[in-house]
Amino acid sequence: MRDGIFHLSNYRLRQFKFLSLLLLTSALLFACAPRSESGKGTPPGNLAAEMREVTDDAGKRVRVHARPERIVSLAPNLTEIVYAVGAGPRLVGNTTYCDYPREANQVTKVGDTLHPSVERILALRPQLILVSTASQLETFARQLDEQQIAVYVTDPRDLDGVLRSIVSVGDLLGQRAEAERVAGQLRERAARVEEATRSRQPVSVFYQLSAEPLYTAGHDSYITDLVRRAGGRSVTADVPGAWPRYSDEAALSSRPEAIVMATGGSMGEANADIAAALKNSPAARSGRIIKINGDYLSRPGPRLVDGLEQMARSLHPEAFGQ
Amino acid sequence: MRFVTIETAKAGSPATADFARGAHTTLRRTLAICSLLALALLTVGLVSMLMGSQRLPITGSLCLIFGGDGGRCGLTPEQQAILFDLRLPRVLLAASVGASLAAAGAGYQALLRNPLAEPYLLGISNGAAVGTMIALVFLGTQTWTRSLMAFAGALAATFVVYRLARGRTGTSPEKLILAGVIVTTFLSSAIVFITTMMDATRIRSFNFWLLGDLSGSTSSLLTIGLIAALLGTVLLAAHGRALNLMMLGERDAFDLGVEVERVRLIVFLAASLLVGASVASSGSVGYVGLVVPHLVRLSVGSDNRTTIPAAALAGALFVIVADTAARTIIAPRELPVGAITALIGAPLFVYLLRRG
Repeated sequence: MRDGIFHLSNYRLRQFKFLSLLLLTSALLFACAPRSESGKGTPPGNLAAEMREVTDDAGKRVRVHARPERIVSLAPNLTEIVYAVGAGPRLVGNTTYCDYPREANQVTKVGDTLHPSVERILALRPQLILVSTASQLETFARQLDEQQIAVYVTDPRDLDGVLRSIVSVGDLLGQRAEAERVAGQLRERAARVEEATRSRQPVSVFYQLSAEPLYTAGHDSYITDLVRRAGGRSVTADVPGAWPRYSDEAALSSRPEAIVMATGGSMGEANADIAAALKNSPAARSGRIIKINGDYLSRPGPRLVDGLEQMARSLHPEAFGQ
Repeated sequence: MRFVTIETAKAGSPATADFARGAHTTLRRTLAICSLLALALLTVGLVSMLMGSQRLPITGSLCLIFGGDGGRCGLTPEQQAILFDLRLPRVLLAASVGASLAAAGAGYQALLRNPLAEPYLLGISNGAAVGTMIALVFLGTQTWTRSLMAFAGALAATFVVYRLARGRTGTSPEKLILAGVIVTTFLSSAIVFITTMMDATRIRSFNFWLLGDLSGSTSSLLTIGLIAALLGTVLLAAHGRALNLMMLGERDAFDLGVEVERVRLIVFLAASLLVGASVASSGSVGYVGLVVPHLVRLSVGSDNRTTIPAAALAGALFVIVADTAARTIIAPRELPVGAITALIGAPLFVYLLRRG
């Protein structure tokens, strides 16, 4: 009997809890609905006039505000570009990888490049989201598209592509002149490097992205172009893909004269040792192991040219009067 | 399926003949089968050392492998390094991983009286993977913590699956598979959770390792793997007779004088050792523990004294072949070996099921 009552009251209690939960949810829904409608901001008439259409690196048409005031960047290289073209103050969200320039650390974090939180992004009410192909685009790009937020994808395959993306992102943010100036300076610095290395015998280079397992830069990577400009010849230049998983014995047989490794910076101690298969390569025996700040080489942004300069100086010190 | 006939062995089916055979006859038969398999294994190992993304002169390589002098065989130092520093350890690792998983599979199948009991399907590989990842993320990168944690993870997963599957009425095949699914999915989520705590550069290498990859290993992991493979297989095979009796039913085995509890513990320990060592070095290579013991039982019968060592040798052979494919199909790029074993294993298993 006692048991029965207890059972009954327990059931009532659960029923009550369920009902109140239902009420609470619907109340919240009603409270939110009008706000999300008004949240779209400017009146429709004005909106159409302020919009324009551009094509991004994924070949997608993007409708975007003429001068977006609220920007979210989902990759550290894009964050660096936003600051370089002078639109830093308009950045309302970026990722935990975005640590340069220092102001980028103060911006709201929406997750990392691989797993950004769509909820957090939406909560920031951005007008433009800058994305690199490093993100798993398929999973969230559609969700953002449905919210009619402009998603702009960059995918530079070489240094020219990086400079172009600086100009196009600058243009997108209404900072075309500043972006042209920045890209022009970078182009000049890159040209000076090429001038210095042009007459030199190219050094064969193995680019080590990670040692275990062995990853390198392939045909579609901007690194392959960078190595060439620095007066090198990437031994994996013809391997399909951007970042192929590479065979140990192919690496050993490639007999590189120099090994370039992206390490340090925000990568810390990762990738600081050369792969076992390269321990007896000509590069390892002659000590031509070139370590370059991982942030310069892993982020196709303005500092990629710093990486280029360091690589060229290490490959051809005599060409720079050292 | 041959396996199912064991259940009816009591009733005097032909399978009884396997068990009734004297110890002496069994030993001779086992030795004959195993030496045949060992010969095949050596041949395949040799051929796989001649294959890779780089083309090496065949006669020169053979000359070097059979004890010739590097200079006289006409191989450059690089080619010698490819042969002995890269390919040989990798073939040995493939052999140890294949032997471990197949022997462990055969052991679990006999003990749990279920042809589907397999390290991968029961979630035991995932247990070892979680152990390895915990060691790598929280305990530093020493080899021994990695292997020890993999062993602990495999053992913990084994006991959880066993506890879940074992009701008042003993383990039923359905319950066991259900328990395996539960443990597998739970541990998969744990793996996803741990990867989110890693930085981006490590996630890439882990994705490859999780699928089963033989390239990222070290010589100490290889040594541990080889020792574990040998020790685990010998331990399991030594309890082959007890396992035969336990396949008739634990009750009957107990009545016939088998120390059921002790044998079960030893099989769990040995199988976890095998799975732990192979996962620590090369992630979860699937289907080996399922397909290989099946094929072996189809061809040599279900006497565990023969099946277990034969499965170990055949497993080594299978993974060497799969890894050679993984190294060469899209050379100079590589595939994870787990993708190949699953691609071969799943259709093969369907075929075996239909035939059985």
